[in-house]
Amino acid sequence: MSDTCDAQQVRRPPSGKSLGFRAEWGPLLALCAIVLLFAVLDAVWGSGRFASIRNLRVVLNQTSIVAVAALGMTLVIVSGGIDLSAGTALSLSATIMAYCLKENWPVAATVAVTLGVGCACGLVNGGLIAGLRVVPFIVTLGTMTVYLGLGKILCDESTVFPSYEQIPGWLHSLCSTRPPDLVWQFVPNVPPGVLLAGLCAVIVAAVLHFTVFGRYVFALGSNEMTARLCGVNIPLMKVAVYCLAGLFTGIAGMYHFATLKIGNPTEGVGLELQIIAAVVIGGGSLSGGRGSVSGALAGAAIMAVIRSGCDQLEVPNPYQEILIGVIIIAAVALDRLRGMQRA
Amino acid sequence: MARLGIVIVVLLAGCSGGRVESAKTQTAGASKQVWRIAVIPKATSLQYWKSVRAGAERAAREAGNIEIIWKGPAQESNSAGQIEVVRNMITQKVDGICLAPNHSEALVSVVQEANDESIPVVLFDSGLAGDAKHVSFVASDNRHGGQIAAQRLAEVLGDKGNVILMRYRAGSESTEERETGFLDEIARHPGIRVLSSDQYGEATAKSAMEKANQLLLKYQGDVNGVFAVCEPNCHGLLQALEQAGLAGKVKFVAFDPSDMLIKAMEQGKLHGIVLQDPVNIGYLAVKTMADHLSGRKVENRVPTGEHVATPENMATEKIRSLLNPEMFGESK
Repeated sequence: MSDTCDAQQVRRPPSGKSLGFRAEWGPLLALCAIVLLFAVLDAVWGSGRFASIRNLRVVLNQTSIVAVAALGMTLVIVSGGIDLSAGTALSLSATIMAYCLKENWPVAATVAVTLGVGCACGLVNGGLIAGLRVVPFIVTLGTMTVYLGLGKILCDESTVFPSYEQIPGWLHSLCSTRPPDLVWQFVPNVPPGVLLAGLCAVIVAAVLHFTVFGRYVFALGSNEMTARLCGVNIPLMKVAVYCLAGLFTGIAGMYHFATLKIGNPTEGVGLELQIIAAVVIGGGSLSGGRGSVSGALAGAAIMAVIRSGCDQLEVPNPYQEILIGVIIIAAVALDRLRGMQRA
Repeated sequence: MARLGIVIVVLLAGCSGGRVESAKTQTAGASKQVWRIAVIPKATSLQYWKSVRAGAERAAREAGNIEIIWKGPAQESNSAGQIEVVRNMITQKVDGICLAPNHSEALVSVVQEANDESIPVVLFDSGLAGDAKHVSFVASDNRHGGQIAAQRLAEVLGDKGNVILMRYRAGSESTEERETGFLDEIARHPGIRVLSSDQYGEATAKSAMEKANQLLLKYQGDVNGVFAVCEPNCHGLLQALEQAGLAGKVKFVAFDPSDMLIKAMEQGKLHGIVLQDPVNIGYLAVKTMADHLSGRKVENRVPTGEHVATPENMATEKIRSLLNPEMFGESK
């Protein structure tokens, strides 16, 4: 990315030469390769069910939870920030949702509060980062445990569980992977949450690539100083980016609740690393200015596919964990190598 | 393409490493039909689960036509991770699932999913709330375990003094039963007062130690006896007692053994360990599933027994075998 103060350059959509065909499609290609590899290995050694319609549903469902949160994280990382509080903010939203349902709140209010809490968490992060001028890593390191503590207070250091009847039907089915395999005889049955995640992804991609806001996000992450000189309102942008990211954290919290049916604030601890990993595997740069929605989705899917594939092949957990770690490093290292070739 | 190359190499390395280990678990099924049973513990790292696995593998060996797929979530406290494992096992169309649910509510819907796919489920170690169908529930009577812990603590305290109960974490059915049993029984000993019973040690020895440090500081001088309800928490509590210079002075009853706790009992720092029979739990879980699969009738509640080890009885053969249960991967 350019370091000169050139409004034209800063505002240029990031889909041009700077992010060429290979960079955009690398993570997707890697995903296809990993799927193919597991399908072959499973057909030879496993039970041959890795490439089944049921597994498509299970893996997509598993992907969607991390993916929705990764959409928000993509915005944050592209803008040159990081959000370590995403995991606990997510489970705080889920806990709030469980709490509201248990208290028999109307469904619309429950959803509004759930998403609102996600936004509020982002707002606090953005406000502190912009207002105190403390680096995002430190601010969100702090809010990470703040949100965990708030969640624990809310559920009285226990877990909140609404009864089956208190949970609306659509929430039961949002992340359900129960049968049937097919709907209308030939369409693979995927949970509604996957479709919603897809819709969210399209919206975020459109915002990033076709709006002034999106260009400002890239400008902010590429070079904050330059962006400021070009007239971007830096504090306002930061607050907006974190707040918008918080909205997706809230949606992911809703998914989390739909999966667990309980509100437990400690469940989200460590989840932020999966979310960040999804963005990074997808080509996001922690120094800002780079990252894509398709990459983040592919990154989230790659991790879900590896877990599923390893389970199908009966690979023990330790190898699975090592594998995911190696893939994160390899993806970023290769990305960097390619960047050097370009330069 | 370089990225793909590396990914493939890594995957192959990972998989071949994995295959070696899983190959060991396969039993020679000869010509009979081989049942593939997924056994899903709460976690895989604690000694306790290695003993459960040893029992499960033994049941498989004895039956001769069972293949065990042993797969747990990486972290003990993670229900979402366990749900994913159960779903992947349903995808694999295993013949049966033996599950130790990490949370009594969170795992309900995924057990219903197994029901939908006509895969029978045996629950072991911990129960499940709600109405998900399961073939049988194979576990210690944890409430009774808590009661005998309270009896032992009352015995060493001479029926008078102040005690602390450090809880594990909310939503874990087995440990909540132990806590309830303990408090019920303590209530029958009017000379004993409970100083604190609302603090949670959480999932790791470290978190339990920090909590125990604070508790011991707060009730310094008043506390005469302590009880913690599972292995990592007992480790943490023991460390905290030693650091506070109270080990041996404050009476301590633990739940589930480990090498460190047994050593502490030999040194007089620990006055009782409630023992379950993890090998038996794993054995009976798989055996019950095998019986069900071959059409035999099974009990819907299978008890597995619980005992107290004390410095006095720890040399007897029965207690010794429970204190050092067989573990998977160790030749015995």
